[in-house]
Amino acid sequence: MTASLVGSMSWLLAQATEIEDKLSLDSQILAEQFYFFTVVVMWLIHVGFMSYEAGAARRKNIMSTAIKNILTIAVVTPTFYYFGWYIYGCFEHGGPAQGHAGPMPEFPGFCGATAPWADAMGPNLQDHISAVFFLAFLLFSWTTASILSGALIERVRLSAYLILGSLLGSGVWIMDAAWGWSAGGWLTTRFGFHDSIASAVVHGVAGAFTLGVLLNLGPRIGKYDLAGKARTFRAHNTHLTLMGLMLIFTGFYGFYAACLVIQSTITPGWLNIYLSPTTLGAIAFVITFGFAGGFTGGWIASRGDPFWTLSGGLAGVISVSAGADVYHPSLAYLLSITGGMFAVYVGNWIERTLRIDDAVGAVAVHGFCGFYGVFLVGIFAGGYPTGVNNVPVSFGGQLIGILTFIPLGFLPGYAGSWILKKLNLLRVPPEVELEGLDMAEFQQDFFPEFERVPETVVLPSGEEVESAPILLEGLAQVRNGHRAGVAVSEERRAP
Amino acid sequence: MIDSFPFDKWSDDISAFWTFWSEDRTGTYIMTVLGIIVMLAAFVYWTWLENRKLQAQAALLRAAGGMPAPGGVPPGPGPSQPPLAGPSTDPGD
Repeated sequence: MTASLVGSMSWLLAQATEIEDKLSLDSQILAEQFYFFTVVVMWLIHVGFMSYEAGAARRKNIMSTAIKNILTIAVVTPTFYYFGWYIYGCFEHGGPAQGHAGPMPEFPGFCGATAPWADAMGPNLQDHISAVFFLAFLLFSWTTASILSGALIERVRLSAYLILGSLLGSGVWIMDAAWGWSAGGWLTTRFGFHDSIASAVVHGVAGAFTLGVLLNLGPRIGKYDLAGKARTFRAHNTHLTLMGLMLIFTGFYGFYAACLVIQSTITPGWLNIYLSPTTLGAIAFVITFGFAGGFTGGWIASRGDPFWTLSGGLAGVISVSAGADVYHPSLAYLLSITGGMFAVYVGNWIERTLRIDDAVGAVAVHGFCGFYGVFLVGIFAGGYPTGVNNVPVSFGGQLIGILTFIPLGFLPGYAGSWILKKLNLLRVPPEVELEGLDMAEFQQDFFPEFERVPETVVLPSGEEVESAPILLEGLAQVRNGHRAGVAVSEERRAP
Repeated sequence: MIDSFPFDKWSDDISAFWTFWSEDRTGTYIMTVLGIIVMLAAFVYWTWLENRKLQAQAALLRAAGGMPAPGGVPPGPGPSQPPLAGPSTDPGD
């Protein structure tokens, strides 16, 4: 009898162990599939960026604009694999570490798993997670580099963008992610910094980097008149731009989802990037209401401008991403309206007052709204526990994050573009800029069946005129040693 | 000779060297270094090639006299159509 009971117990224990093993494997496979498909969805962000920017370009610059987005993948992928992922794994405490243990004992030595020759960074039958987790971060990196791309169109050299995009996508942003977007990052563990879906970590830092580059790159020829007032270049295909934005929005759902950690065998099944509990539904609520509010705010502030209405949607989502795991949907809606409105006002201020030619409003939409989002968390989610140590969110902690990330983004962008400028490798020659980059880069017009109509430009008065005389005057100014696109009178006034 | 060549061992050794996660990590390290070198070379080549294209086009536009027509001239051979269409970009071609 006793022997039979012991036998039954042993059998039951063996069954339980087997079930536990199968559940564990099942959970890992589920996580592997989850991240894999977020990567597939996130590709749409890049289809979107390409369409968005190509549509915003003039006809003469379509392919040179689109190819930037495609080659972003070609350069950020290897640079992130060889350097970026290691930065994320090993720079949590500011400087490099060697094989340190993370804050959770079940995740030891993450640093050691991120070098390109690590067991986790290739085919490994014992590890279903590391590769897809890396891939999700790689897609974040493409996105970060692409934020820079649009602002520079129609005058930056492709090679200069690829170098700067790699610096941003595989160096700068992933450093701030190590500091403030990981469970062991010093901003998280010391100050409770909370930016759950990367408002500042991705968007804010990319915007600051972009601002640094734009200061050295200068505006497009003819952008500003002699009084320093901004002219507007007509996008060659606004429909394509709007479709691109909608594709970016679709891809953002994948981005949001990939920012969570899935653990299907532990309640509640989902953790944010700081390993605090949340749900997929919570962030889906916020992203959707963020779009709704952002469109509304962009539409109101721009008085119905289609470009800014859709860009307002992006700005709205970015403004609430930092608190997406904790915000009430109504709060997300209200805050994103303000984000969408601010993007329009800040974008116009940058263009008209600072006279910085940001072709797609990236600094306003991503840069300003990214940091605005982190700022808002300090107000509306103050006291909320962040990370495995439950450090409460505070306004001061958020401010420290902002003050850390602005120079971290801006200075490399400014320094990198300054070096390229000194080497005469940042901007295309002015003659090429006027004729169009596609002729120089590809020796062809990419709408061969369509008659070429005169290029136009919208004056500050709102009048649309043929652009040739204005651009030729701008070229003459550049040949006489003035900065491209800057009014001579303004340049004389500058110290 | 051909019958005595140790194809199986040769194949195993090659595979162990070049594929990921074998006991001998030498191949992994070598490929990592090669990958980084090729990656950096690609950056240099991109920069060099584009610079040649842009300088060649700018020189042609200046040589054509006057100013280029913004937006490009009508398609077809002309001063703004460089003699380097296609992948070859040597301005001397």
